[in-house]
Amino acid sequence: MGRAASIIGYCLAALAIPVAIATFVGMDFFSRGLVAATGLKVSPWMNGGDIIQVVERGGYQTQIHQPVFDGLFGEKEEGFVQVDWTPLKNLPSVISEEVDFDRDGRADFKISLDVEAVSAKITNENPRIKSLEGCYKLKDGRAVRVWLINDKR
Amino acid sequence: MGTKPWKALLLTLPMAFLLALMMTQGKLPDALAARVAVILTYSLFSVMFFLIIWSGKTYKYRAILFTIIAVCFCFSFIANLIEIRGSMALTKADILAGDTPFCHLVIPAVIIPAALTRTIIFPGSMLEGFASIASMLVLWAGASLVLGRGWCSWACFFGGFDEGFSRLRKKALIKKIDQKWTYLPWAVLLAVVLLSAATLSPFYCQWLCPFKAVTEFEQVTSFKILVQTVIFVSLFIGLVVVLPVLTRKRIQCGLFCPFAAFQSLTNKINVFDIRVDTDKCKNCGICIKECPTFSLDSKSVGEGRTLMSCVKCGKCVDDCPRGAVTYHIKGTRVNTGSDTARVLFAYPAYLFMSAIGGSMIVSTLAYLINYATAGSLYG
Repeated sequence: MGRAASIIGYCLAALAIPVAIATFVGMDFFSRGLVAATGLKVSPWMNGGDIIQVVERGGYQTQIHQPVFDGLFGEKEEGFVQVDWTPLKNLPSVISEEVDFDRDGRADFKISLDVEAVSAKITNENPRIKSLEGCYKLKDGRAVRVWLINDKR
Repeated sequence: MGTKPWKALLLTLPMAFLLALMMTQGKLPDALAARVAVILTYSLFSVMFFLIIWSGKTYKYRAILFTIIAVCFCFSFIANLIEIRGSMALTKADILAGDTPFCHLVIPAVIIPAALTRTIIFPGSMLEGFASIASMLVLWAGASLVLGRGWCSWACFFGGFDEGFSRLRKKALIKKIDQKWTYLPWAVLLAVVLLSAATLSPFYCQWLCPFKAVTEFEQVTSFKILVQTVIFVSLFIGLVVVLPVLTRKRIQCGLFCPFAAFQSLTNKINVFDIRVDTDKCKNCGICIKECPTFSLDSKSVGEGRTLMSCVKCGKCVDDCPRGAVTYHIKGTRVNTGSDTARVLFAYPAYLFMSAIGGSMIVSTLAYLINYATAGSLYG
């Protein structure tokens, strides 16, 4: 038993060298494999979630993300929806739009966004909307996040 | 316990070959500054490995390289940020674009949300860009298999800071530290894991990471972010600079870092450990006094083992006057009188250290050469 354990120990110790090399040589392969096998994604609370609607505005786009209510277990009572406007060079100085994020054909909120000042005001048209969470610069545009109440809860 | 020079040279050759492959990928860079930087870094790593093998002293040379890597990491990271972003500050645009480099310290916090929601609560990218989430997870998994908590002494690019500061004074000014404090990292780990899961945000990064002070931090646009920034800087000064200088211990790593506590668990699955030959040991207590991470106490020494928080830095091995403390391979006899276990551990550990730290030293040297020759870091 002692001898067998010793042989196994030395074999595992020697195996550590190829494992170390494989970690670096196969980094790209293993990384893609990890993502494919687990289906892991960046949390929508971080990146705003998937874009589900793109509205062409003649030179620029309004991109509406999937409303985010994801919680650790099920959905949260409150979440947000993110709306992006891009590209920056084609944006008007003030964006005034109606946004229909739930795609029911009716505006959910009206927004007036000052592109240079990176500030916005919203007018609620839907009782699910709580308030403006923030107005942000993007690499190539502007974005807002609007707090929502989850009507499924 | 050293090795004859010719034998050390022979054992260094495979490492030198692997280092050459890793650092050049078969071709030296075209730019002169980068070329010189690669050659200097390669020489440094090769010589240091030879010295580790030849002298029998692991800690002495590892600690020097480890500190150099931490300094170079921050220098090259900040220089790169300034080059591409114009500042160390992370803007909301960077966060929303997923441009935040993922670091291993956040791994314990993302596990529960990843398991339950299949999402990573970090504003990075899964596969794209520098330090993507998936690549760091792969790196951590590989290193954990090979090194266990040895990660904290061979692969962590932050650990060299408190290691370096802990070596500045010859004698500690604060000598008595209650062993109870060693439970603190577990408490921080528990708090960070639960709060991150509850808020679905990386709590440690947002509130507690001392190394934000020397890498990147969110642009101060609100009182909340200002408070966070003050906390980062205070923790860095207290835990990484002042206390290590006063105690000669790695305080951040040993008494605060939640990732370090989490990484202790991986020592259980790792084949390498440090053992004390109780027949040789005369209970002088030097190893307990010198351990930088509080990983030895009189009970563990009596049992011939280290505590599970051992980072395999080699300090106790270097300092034991009777050679009673040695690197060991689980399943084998303790203190066989040979250097095999130490050399077998040194190979993969050094590969991780050079692969992670090499590029950081190369970048820093290239920036400095550019500055010396062209008057600008960026050439």
